[in-house]
Amino acid sequence: MSYKRKEKIITVGYGNVNKVTVGGLNPLIFIGGPCAIESQEHSIKMAELIGKICEKVGISWIYKSCYDKDCRSSPESFHGLGIEGGLKILEKVRNEIGVPVVSDFSDPAWAEKTGEICDMVQIPAYLCRQTSILRSAAKTNRPIHLKKGQFMSPWNMKNSVQKIESNGNSQIILSDRGTFFGYNMLVNDMRCFPIMAETGYPVCFDATHSIQLPTSMGNISGGQREFIPYLVRSAVACGVNALFMEVHDDPDNALSDSNTVLHIDMLQNILYQAKEMHEMRLELSKKYEE
Amino acid sequence: MNANEISVKDVMLTTENFPVINKNTLFKESLEHMNKTNLGIACVVDERNKLLGIITDGDVRRNLLKVQKPISAFFVDDVVSHCVKNPITILPDDKLNYAVKIMGEKKVWDLPVVNNDGILVGLLHLHQAIKKLLEKDI
Repeated sequence: MSYKRKEKIITVGYGNVNKVTVGGLNPLIFIGGPCAIESQEHSIKMAELIGKICEKVGISWIYKSCYDKDCRSSPESFHGLGIEGGLKILEKVRNEIGVPVVSDFSDPAWAEKTGEICDMVQIPAYLCRQTSILRSAAKTNRPIHLKKGQFMSPWNMKNSVQKIESNGNSQIILSDRGTFFGYNMLVNDMRCFPIMAETGYPVCFDATHSIQLPTSMGNISGGQREFIPYLVRSAVACGVNALFMEVHDDPDNALSDSNTVLHIDMLQNILYQAKEMHEMRLELSKKYEE
Repeated sequence: MNANEISVKDVMLTTENFPVINKNTLFKESLEHMNKTNLGIACVVDERNKLLGIITDGDVRRNLLKVQKPISAFFVDDVVSHCVKNPITILPDDKLNYAVKIMGEKKVWDLPVVNNDGILVGLLHLHQAIKKLLEKDI
């Protein structure tokens, strides 16, 4: 193991929403919600349902849903409600439910508005090395959820981190969502968590995108949901600080990523396991060191 | 002034004249810094300029053989990962004769010069040291 920089603790949430603290010896946090914002009614409903589960499990969480899905496989696929309408809904969710919210953005011009509403901004994996996107995210002064591109090595994420830091922002969560293994296939290299953690920033496992089979169905992506619990347990044992999963109450009819989103009925048991495994890992690492 | 009166500070390179690298600099960038001078050494410091270690051409060779990971991963490591910690150092007021004796005993070409707080103030390079001593016709 190479030298690890001093661990950084990130706090997500401004104003009246719950503050979520991630990194170091803090408890595991959850980031989740429907892939795309579908409607205000559905967003509020999902936030309420997920919020109740997280409260029961005893895990802090951040609501994730996106207003513009710019990386869909097909031009026919649902693209999203757009920035104006989408952000209004996210604002409603944070005000009514009191949960911090995160959305990604795919155009530097959208960063400022996204950061005005969202407690955290997210960089899509395919755009994780685009300087203009990273610079605009840094300038929002919000914490940044930076996903490792499926084509990137975990060590080269340090370059992306430096692009953000050099623009005055040092609140970053680094995520793995799988790495291309040939065509239309992703695998998780569990080494990427300790490697990305060398930056000192908290690391996150994106379970539902990791089981994606990118564009494997011609014009949409497939997925193998059955592997989610196994991969979650592996990643938590490997030392992640946060768990990311897209969740839906009706995956078959979800407007985005219907083959990978987790059915909300499965969420509670997975979160219980992840939380307990994380607590055990902290105890073990204190007892035996890593 | 005879040879016995020459101090390290009279001969050492000041910090602008040799590579001084922050501990979190990428390894590859550190090599590029080292290429700007022909000394074969860089000093690794923290934010307060406290000396943390040194890296020499020899350390790079040894690390290339030892580090079992792709070169692209090696290049983005922080330089502090691969430097030699707690190197032999010398004080600015130490005598040059003594410093050269240490260099001979330890078989090193360079000695980082630090003050009593461990802050890097210079580098004594064998070439300059010998040149100065020869001028004094020892």
